[in-house]
Amino acid sequence: MRDYVRLTGVLLIVCMVAAVVLGVTNYITADKIAEQTAIANENARKSVLSQAQEFIMLDGQEITEILAKDDYDTIREVYEAKADGNVIGYAIKTAPKGYGGEIEVMVGVDIEGKVTGINVGNNSETPGLGQNSTKPEFQAQYVGKNWNDGVGVIKNGTPKDNEIVAIAGATITSNAVTKGVNQALNLAKELSGN
Amino acid sequence: MKLLKDLTNGIVKENPTLRLVLGTCPTLAVTTAVFNGLGMGIAATAVLIGSNLIISLINKIVPSEVRIPIYVVVIATFVTAVQMLIKAYSPALDSALGIFIPLIVVNCIILARAESFASKNPPLNSIMDGLGMGIGFTLALLLISSVREIFGAGTFLGMPIFGASYEPALILILPPGGFLVFGLTIALVNKLTAKKA
Repeated sequence: MRDYVRLTGVLLIVCMVAAVVLGVTNYITADKIAEQTAIANENARKSVLSQAQEFIMLDGQEITEILAKDDYDTIREVYEAKADGNVIGYAIKTAPKGYGGEIEVMVGVDIEGKVTGINVGNNSETPGLGQNSTKPEFQAQYVGKNWNDGVGVIKNGTPKDNEIVAIAGATITSNAVTKGVNQALNLAKELSGN
Repeated sequence: MKLLKDLTNGIVKENPTLRLVLGTCPTLAVTTAVFNGLGMGIAATAVLIGSNLIISLINKIVPSEVRIPIYVVVIATFVTAVQMLIKAYSPALDSALGIFIPLIVVNCIILARAESFASKNPPLNSIMDGLGMGIGFTLALLLISSVREIFGAGTFLGMPIFGASYEPALILILPPGGFLVFGLTIALVNKLTAKKA
């Protein structure tokens, strides 16, 4: 009987110490991590829509209602990109489900309805396969796609104007990123009133 | 002298991947590219040294009946704390090694060394064992990932080496190729070391 108390006691103490260590570490780092994430997001927005001077987050009643639709289930954040006071496009953060959970995809769409760039951020895709979606060669394929035709995925061969070639061995990832881009294109179209 | 032996033990004689056949899951998962193998190896080495040291320091106060749950808690705490610190203070390191750190928590090499070495040896020897095992793990990952990346993707560390006409053997990058190369590498190392003995 005494043994049970002793063993449980030691285990309890170890777990409490562990909890305190983690709590303190979290307390110290939480703000800093949030700050780093914000910087990364800001950089991602700039990288997909470089002409913009500022990004204004849209989070009013109107946008919340639009985003409630099933068609926009992967969209997380919407920013209006402005230069010299005019709206020049949108930076839209989506999080479609890939092979290993959600993939952060920032999509830049200009006011003419063309993709200006995409940026694949945090994700848990397989290193060497789905992880290749973070490479510039893959992301560059999306540039210039427009909101009338959308984007399709083919496995091999020569893509048409509105198609991209999937990453070899990572069709699920490629489809996921494409889904995010398509939803962002549709949303930008709706927001711009076209 | 004993310290040096503890260090070299993990590199060939008891190489964790090729001899003890530990950590097979992360090995197969990350060896699709040399960079990933290197990243995983370095991150795992750092954790191995740290966890071996901690386990060795606390082994006197840990009752043997509950040592495994305690090791698990200690290692998971250590890894999680390191991950948060890296995320907060070194975003560059985080983007390079960040995806490997959660994988390390489930790397059984860490627990195996805690159980079979660090819990029975003094701190300094445990650090050397962690370093040696880490180097051994990294070398094995480098070997396997080099074969897979060179023939499976036609590149080394992302740089093309065969020219455009080379059609990569994609199967080597995919999971079955991982098993093939892993098995062949073990066979090769067994063959080479058997001759020496």
